[in-house]
Amino acid sequence: MLRKKSLALPVLHHLYLFLMMLTLAGILSAAAWLQYAGREIPCPLCLLQRLAMFGVAYGIIVNFRHGYSARNDGVSMIFALLLLIISVRQTLLDIYPRPGHEYIGSAIFGIHMPVWSILIATALLIAFALKFVVFGNERLADARRFPALASASKWLGFYMVALCVENFVSVIVQCGLGACHTWGYLLLG
Amino acid sequence: MMVAVFAAMSAALVFGWLGRRREATACLVLSLVLATGLFLWEVYSPEYGFRMPWIQVERALDPLPKS
Repeated sequence: MLRKKSLALPVLHHLYLFLMMLTLAGILSAAAWLQYAGREIPCPLCLLQRLAMFGVAYGIIVNFRHGYSARNDGVSMIFALLLLIISVRQTLLDIYPRPGHEYIGSAIFGIHMPVWSILIATALLIAFALKFVVFGNERLADARRFPALASASKWLGFYMVALCVENFVSVIVQCGLGACHTWGYLLLG
Repeated sequence: MMVAVFAAMSAALVFGWLGRRREATACLVLSLVLATGLFLWEVYSPEYGFRMPWIQVERALDPLPKS
């Protein structure tokens, strides 16, 4: 009974982190779907927002792969803050439509991507704050003690790494070594 | 520049995945610094600098009615 109780908190903690990574994987997969199936070429600030989400995922992946550390959460929170700053600035840039400045891409539920990014960044920061409130700084067991969760997180982490490498290749094709533009893929003519 | 930012982040994730903490941290910091620099370069306008005059409401030119 005591053993079950002592394991419940670490399991919940790692499940919480897993769900956060799953959400990020869903968002970044949807972005890839819109880019390739919807033929929507991402703008430079959109790419930087994707990068910030990969930065948040980095902290979670390392937590699962090599044991939990609050330092990794700190790294994730820095990138969540970067995501918030970039998305707020982009929203303010495009909030008053004028030549060369308007929201680009599809609106999902009537909301454009930079505004979604503000909501995502805020949700991530709230999620980390709640995590600290609920789980505190108790010594949490290594995720590798829970085989099913460890296996699922391993594959999800691998998917996130692969998705980042795919974005890297996509950026090479879109931007080459210069500035990025939304009118086409530079290397595809 | 964007290529360098994503190269550094991809390397950080791969090193992090493999457990090479020091290399991962170096790549992650590099990615963060490059991304911050690129963000500032993208939002800077030669005309306005970092200001955003299109969201000013110009209340001084259109005062509220006194009554």
